[in-house]
Amino acid sequence: MSMQTLPRRLGAAVVTAVIVWFLSVRLSTFRDFQIAEVAVEVTAVAGLTVLTGLSGQISLGNGAFMAIGGYTTALLMLHLNWPYVAALVASAVVTAVAGGIVGVAAARLRGPYLAGATLMLGVALPALAAAYQGFLGGDQGLNVVFTAPAFLGATFPLTRWQAWVSTVVALVTLVLLANLCYSRIGRNWRAVRDDEVAAALDGVNVAVTRVLAFVVSAICAGLAGSLLAIVTSLVAPGAFTVTLSIALLTAAVIGGLGSLPGALWGSLLIVIVPTYVTDVATSHGLSSSVGSNIPIAAYGAVLILVMLAFPQGIQGGLHRLLTLFTGPDPGTRVPRDAPAPHVTPPADEAPASHHEKEGTL
Amino acid sequence: MVEFLQFTLSGVSFGMIYAAVALSLVLIWRGTRLLNYAQGGMAMITTYIAIEVIYHTGSYWAGFAVALVAGILLGAVCQLTIIRPTMNKPPLNGVIVTIGLLVLLEGLAGIFFGGQFRSFPTAFSVTGLRVGGTPLGVSRYDIFVAVAVLAATLALALAFRYTSAGLRMRAAAFNATIARLSGIRVARVLTVGWALAGLLGALAGVLVSPSTFLYPNSMDTIFVYGFTAAVIGGLDSPAGAVTGGLLLGLALSYAGGYLPSGASLVPVVALGILVLVLMARPDGLFSATKVRRV
Amino acid sequence: MSSAAASSDEAPALAVEELVAGYGGVIALDRVSISAGTAAITAVLGANGAGKTTLLRAISGMIRPRRGRILLDGTDLAGRNPEQMVRAGIAHVPEGQAVIPELTVEENLRVGMMSWPRRRVWGGAKPPHAGGVSGGDRGFVPPGTSRADRGAALDEALERFPPLAARRRKLAAALSGGERQMLVIARALLARPRVLLLDEPSLGLAPRVMAQVMDLVVRLSRENGITIILVEQNARGALAIADHGVVLNLGRVVAAADAATLAADVALRHHYLGF
Repeated sequence: MSMQTLPRRLGAAVVTAVIVWFLSVRLSTFRDFQIAEVAVEVTAVAGLTVLTGLSGQISLGNGAFMAIGGYTTALLMLHLNWPYVAALVASAVVTAVAGGIVGVAAARLRGPYLAGATLMLGVALPALAAAYQGFLGGDQGLNVVFTAPAFLGATFPLTRWQAWVSTVVALVTLVLLANLCYSRIGRNWRAVRDDEVAAALDGVNVAVTRVLAFVVSAICAGLAGSLLAIVTSLVAPGAFTVTLSIALLTAAVIGGLGSLPGALWGSLLIVIVPTYVTDVATSHGLSSSVGSNIPIAAYGAVLILVMLAFPQGIQGGLHRLLTLFTGPDPGTRVPRDAPAPHVTPPADEAPASHHEKEGTL
Repeated sequence: MVEFLQFTLSGVSFGMIYAAVALSLVLIWRGTRLLNYAQGGMAMITTYIAIEVIYHTGSYWAGFAVALVAGILLGAVCQLTIIRPTMNKPPLNGVIVTIGLLVLLEGLAGIFFGGQFRSFPTAFSVTGLRVGGTPLGVSRYDIFVAVAVLAATLALALAFRYTSAGLRMRAAAFNATIARLSGIRVARVLTVGWALAGLLGALAGVLVSPSTFLYPNSMDTIFVYGFTAAVIGGLDSPAGAVTGGLLLGLALSYAGGYLPSGASLVPVVALGILVLVLMARPDGLFSATKVRRV
Repeated sequence: MSSAAASSDEAPALAVEELVAGYGGVIALDRVSISAGTAAITAVLGANGAGKTTLLRAISGMIRPRRGRILLDGTDLAGRNPEQMVRAGIAHVPEGQAVIPELTVEENLRVGMMSWPRRRVWGGAKPPHAGGVSGGDRGFVPPGTSRADRGAALDEALERFPPLAARRRKLAAALSGGERQMLVIARALLARPRVLLLDEPSLGLAPRVMAQVMDLVVRLSRENGITIILVEQNARGALAIADHGVVLNLGRVVAAADAATLAADVALRHHYLGF
């Protein structure tokens, strides 16, 4: 059952919303906070998985777009007293512009070169925020004031409201992204990813397609950053480090690159696992230096093991499990002349030309 | 003028470190088309091993040697255990595995060595040298750093060009299929490549740690700038790695020295340089122009 | 079941029995059997997609056969990987004049000798490798070869191919199509193979150069005693120099006989070979 029609997607979104509502009411405020965290990550990871999985452009700097979204929201709410919704939309617009700029600058970059450029972006932007004390709050950052609306009552826990808001934004983003992915734009992304020259010969404007992907993923990250601002009530350089950018990519790949459900699995993993392992460590009463590092080591080990066990990501792994029961999808026959040797791929059959192997990043 | 000299020489010194990291990344990239995000983490671990050896034996050179050997072993072991399974899978899997490795290594370092900053000794004096009365802005140690990296680079270049093992590695990197059909055991070659990269990383770690102190995350920034240097130079070019490293080292040194609030703006300057270079040459400075196949 | 028998009486140098191989869900070779006598030229013909290239890849170990045997002088080599196959004596020249353009001509040739056993520094020479490389004047590789041996072999190869000698230190990227084809064959020869698999050696070459390559193939079998399996689109040219021919269609052998018989079979030629 694929999410190929709008009603199906909306239906799935509504079902998820109901589940989250149910959980948010039953679970503790800490769990509500985690729900909000996951929603934030899903929003950003979904954009990234589309950028990297569907349009084939790696970005190690989407944390920078989150920062832009977060700071935009914080500044508008702090200095101009904008209501949150307006700030959210404005953040999306601002990050869209930023994404466009980065996309244009990166239009000719491929593979590791794109990775390097976006990595540096992810490092440089928080540094900018730290360098400017006055306007951007320097290292301490800016505080964000966010309260639940009055009609919910005075005793309504803020964390639950934060969880609701982030979940709604996340679900809306997912539905819109799904629509995009199955539209002509999505097909263009895939075409450009698979074979640029062929796509160009087909009439696809490669540059515009690539930039558009960046803009879309930037918007998603900007929304996520804006959500983060109200969930943590703070924007500071320390919240948007390059570690965050790398975590986003990790979530995208582990979940299943290019897969929107995969964005959910990946986000769950990067939010839940570190907290869980920390809990286990502290409940065993380990000394602080050992205790605080075991979760880190365990997290790294989990990343390695999951990646080795699920080469197609968690979504791909689930899909394989499913086909064990239901049989393979039609249309997955490998064409006759596809090389699938048990040794390294003989990608070098063509005479004389030096093929750039895109390889890993 | 003296200031300029100081910034220049400090820039060269750090540039050499970036060059060493860049070189190790280029080695792995050329051989396996994989970017090793754990390179800095591996260097950090071998440097911790070195400091323990130095602590217990009192000899800097013993620690230095052990670090290099540990780098070779660590590189080979990582490739054999966790990298090999990713070889025929989607490209980004290898990336995530190396990221996982980095996190694992940093966690292990925290567990076994503790998180506090440790100072790392040097074998040569770090007091600035003087010619006549004027300070040169460089110490014996800085000279040692430059010489060590240059020597390693030269040795590697010569080995690649003139030895049979070097030819094996180049052939396997350029065309693994032809290499296998000719009898080259490409799998072994890849392991050797990782071992050499581990060696270079270990060297970089030991050389830079006196300046940065040693703690689990101490090599993160060095890795980022080393990666940037490799990208600037062109990931397929060892010469590019060294050039990129020097260029970056110098530029960042001047930026940090001359710009107002320069120290925090260094990453921004790095980004600027990277963007400038890549806009002109999307595949790095030393890239050959690729043939577009139609 | 499809098969082709050698007409020679002595045991074949290379015998492929009931080979099944494919990619993913698709079977590209369906119980193919061929046999090639020592120093014979066997042409493997058929339309695009018939399985000719797959057959060579399966023999050289580039793809792992699912069933069947690959017998070199009686020893079953099926399942070995390419590095082991070339050490056993089967060299494969894939299609497309695949030199390594970033290496010089000399370096490309040296790559061809990478399968030679090295002389051990201690403990004496390594024993000759198993699986069919026997002694004799067919270019046996002695155990524990030295740098001098390799230098001599390199010189001999350059002497045999003067155009390569002239461009010895130039990058292979600078060679013409015909010169590249020469280089890849020379490189394969340096592995001192018992069996040489050639995939479309004349593809993309000018007619005159094509003829030179075919000449070379004939000399290799007559003068060096190498057993040659020749895949060719150009069926007419291939049959002109071959001793035996095998025609594949959709992964099966549809005809096998000596070359003259196949060339004379007009219906067969029209149907499968395009002339």
